[in-house]
Amino acid sequence: MLRKLVLLVLLALLVVPTLVGVAQEPQGLPVEVPGGRANLFVFDQIFRWGSVGNFNVWRTGGNTPHHHALMLETFWNGDQETGENINALAISGPVYNEDFTEMSVNLREGVMWTDGEEFNADDVVYTVETVKANPGLTQQGWHAQLTKFDVGVEKTGEFSVKFTTLPNPRLHTVFESRWAGLYMMPSHYVSEVEANLADGETLADWHWEAEDVIVLGNYLPQQVDPNGYWELFKRRDDPENSLAGIITGGSGPPYVLSIFYGNENIKKAIAMSRGELDVYFDVDIESFETTLDTTPTARSWYKDFPWAFPNEYSTRHLAFNFEGDPLLQNKDVRWALALAINNVELAGDYIGGLAKVTTFAVPPTAAMTGIYHEAMEPWLNELQIDLGDGEMFSVYDPTVPDQLNAWAEAQGHTVPGTPAEIFGTGWWKFAPEASEKLLIKAGLSRDGGGNWLTPDGEIWTLDLQSDPSENDAYRMGQAAADMWQDFGIDVNFITLDRGAWSQNHHVGAFEVSTPWGSFALPAGDFWPRINGMHSDFYAPAGEDYRPLGGNSLRRLVDPKIDELLDAMEAVDPVGQADQNIALNIEFIQHWVENMIDITCIAFKKLVTWDEKYWTGFPTAENPYAMPLYWFQGGKYAIQGLTSTS
Amino acid sequence: MTLLKEFILPRFAQWLIVIFVGVTITFIIPRLSPVNPVTETLARMQMYQNIDPEAVQAMRATLLDLYGLEGSVLEQYVNFWKRVLKGDLGPSLASFPLSVNQLIGVSIGWTIGLLGTSILIAWTLGMTLGSLAGYYPNRWWSEGLEKSLITVYPVPYYILAFVLLMAFTFYLPIFPLIGGARGTAAFTWEYISSVLYHGFLPALSIVIGATAHRFIMAKALTTTEKSSDYVQYAQMAALPQRKILFYYVTRNTLLPQVTDLSLSLGALFGGALIAEFVFGYPGIGTTMYTAINNGDYNAIMGITLLSIVGIATASLLIDLIYPLIDPRVRYR
Repeated sequence: MLRKLVLLVLLALLVVPTLVGVAQEPQGLPVEVPGGRANLFVFDQIFRWGSVGNFNVWRTGGNTPHHHALMLETFWNGDQETGENINALAISGPVYNEDFTEMSVNLREGVMWTDGEEFNADDVVYTVETVKANPGLTQQGWHAQLTKFDVGVEKTGEFSVKFTTLPNPRLHTVFESRWAGLYMMPSHYVSEVEANLADGETLADWHWEAEDVIVLGNYLPQQVDPNGYWELFKRRDDPENSLAGIITGGSGPPYVLSIFYGNENIKKAIAMSRGELDVYFDVDIESFETTLDTTPTARSWYKDFPWAFPNEYSTRHLAFNFEGDPLLQNKDVRWALALAINNVELAGDYIGGLAKVTTFAVPPTAAMTGIYHEAMEPWLNELQIDLGDGEMFSVYDPTVPDQLNAWAEAQGHTVPGTPAEIFGTGWWKFAPEASEKLLIKAGLSRDGGGNWLTPDGEIWTLDLQSDPSENDAYRMGQAAADMWQDFGIDVNFITLDRGAWSQNHHVGAFEVSTPWGSFALPAGDFWPRINGMHSDFYAPAGEDYRPLGGNSLRRLVDPKIDELLDAMEAVDPVGQADQNIALNIEFIQHWVENMIDITCIAFKKLVTWDEKYWTGFPTAENPYAMPLYWFQGGKYAIQGLTSTS
Repeated sequence: MTLLKEFILPRFAQWLIVIFVGVTITFIIPRLSPVNPVTETLARMQMYQNIDPEAVQAMRATLLDLYGLEGSVLEQYVNFWKRVLKGDLGPSLASFPLSVNQLIGVSIGWTIGLLGTSILIAWTLGMTLGSLAGYYPNRWWSEGLEKSLITVYPVPYYILAFVLLMAFTFYLPIFPLIGGARGTAAFTWEYISSVLYHGFLPALSIVIGATAHRFIMAKALTTTEKSSDYVQYAQMAALPQRKILFYYVTRNTLLPQVTDLSLSLGALFGGALIAEFVFGYPGIGTTMYTAINNGDYNAIMGITLLSIVGIATASLLIDLIYPLIDPRVRYR
């Protein structure tokens, strides 16, 4: 009897899940909402959440991407498409006093919290004082920054505040989002939470349940996957009173679902082909082409070539470790490597013509080109380097965009703009003969097989490491490795998992690598992005630079860089913009002249949406907002959507 | 009393020692790694945002305090055992302020459900089919089964899983791309059936390979056993074939197979990392992977503790029940 029972159970174990599993109606989305897809916008969640269901975003571990676009507000939102700061909760820019010890801000009226209270100066005062008083509220380092400058704030009117600070011309950046600016708290609610905390508890211990959330944004959390794969948000009842509603006049989809399909690009393409994803934030070119083949209603920033959004604020470099191969400490060797790269081939054949070219780490967006690239052009045209024996060589080739244009046309593509608009700026000449002279000047020589030998007569071997999860960086690395090998250098191209690759960066265990970054914020200011390069934060190779807080990736100590950073720090980037930009340009010139990095291309994002259920996402034809919906300032792209039904 | 003193207690002591040594090694290894949880947390914050370097240094001190990583390694070790003995695995350092207990609680159910069911199904199928194929080696179905499963067996799991994913989510899109269920947990038929629906494809991918493995093992054991004298004697005595196979042959092949099953079940706390990745299925494998990448000492310790206890307990139980399965094994 017992044996029969066991057999029966085992049989049931085999058959029941099979029948139930197979008998289910095919369905992929984890939730249903009233009205179905006509009321539901589905976007690609850029991470799987580790800490789930706690909407206290000010604490350590609070999830920021998407949450700040859908729910949270600050004073100004940086728009990476236009380079402008959109006035969000502030109605105008910051006003400083002469010595930068005071900053006044006028606030927007009529923005309502989702519980019906109006946002006002009390919320600003409470937020700043609370974040400053609680070391456990570590989000984005705001507590530490407010403390460092001993920031105070007072209400000067129902909708105006005045900050006091130690001299700091960049206090406003705490409230300005590229990624995020200090999220305002509903003072009338959080003050009650604070008053009711148990003994020994602080606001860092506060767990904010989804159903209790009160925000200024357009959406409220509705359902949360405990495993971190998805979250469902519902539009507030009065979208016209949300900040995004006031600014855009749009109301946004009634429901928004963020869903994480994993890091495999192809799964995003499959999800879109199944109608289970309306927009993904990026994929490699092959998965994008699959999307075009399988989802006829899908498109990216451009309807056709070069498809991708080109204006995210970052660039890709070949970076040198100045405490790695001693030969790389020689400027001539670094220049030789730059001139041995054919960037037309790199950006064309290896990257597919999708990313713009740039010689320095500022993306050639329309705004940045106007400020920096055009200003640099005459200087770059004049730039010469000494090849040895007094022979001077002009290194800059302004025709690179034209060459890329010709390459694209030869591929059968129609280029939807001028070569400069689509392909960026000029770049270094592809001049192996000049590279040859520079290496000889540096004491290297060739053997009978054409291989480069070090001054000691050994084969010169160069390690170049890259991480394949960053597609463009990896292909840039492959291109450089191929071209340097063709030039006779024994390049060891090392593919590493992201974790190991990053760790090698942190401790300086590399010779050449493929990181990314931008000197500039969307408004063009450099100092906040590059101050970590100051030698105060230098860590020698072998030590992790991050505990010092700075960015000592290159293990570089350069008095000129220190001098420029100190000068930038003292300048008001808004009131003294000309002086600030002049210092920034001097910084670029120093960087380029010494070929500290070989910057090759800017970022591109194949942020791609399917117009089957929703239309109105910003495009190159209608660039009303940046399409980077995961940044805090990306909310305007979602707010403008309309259902196709 | 002798049984307890000479058989059970020594094995129980061995079980305790294995766990103590295993956990101690697991405590030390992540701390030798260059990945530091505080630095990783700071790096995540700096990924998109410009944070003043001095502010980063200030946050570092705050995080060390929050994470309980201040003090010497010895102090941390003692505190760890104090917490563990109270059933508290501490806060997760990568998913702070979630506790490791919560982190494991969320994912372990999925792993037990998926792997536990798949292992049992594969074991039952593999053993039954393997025994039949071994006992009736020349039948057409036996040869067909053997050829099919031997063909599948060497295919790397990740390829098999990816083929199933592409076949049933893209070319014939009848299964979901990711997730363990629809909606949030509820004791309703709708939710339970969605769990089975979401788990079907990952389970199938595991069952295919695991069945092939156990089929080959069971067939080999049965073939050996079939040539034994007692089987030939039973056949000459004209006992029914079914009885010979299931009551004599299979029973005698059970010992290694039960060992295999127990160890497989004990090891399920390690998760099914590749299945979880390919099918976007929640589970302890990806939790562990994330913890290792982020230097989340506490989560690594918690999950490893579970695995060590699982495998050590499985071994202990096998030791204890061997004599019940096979009378030739005696308590000493």
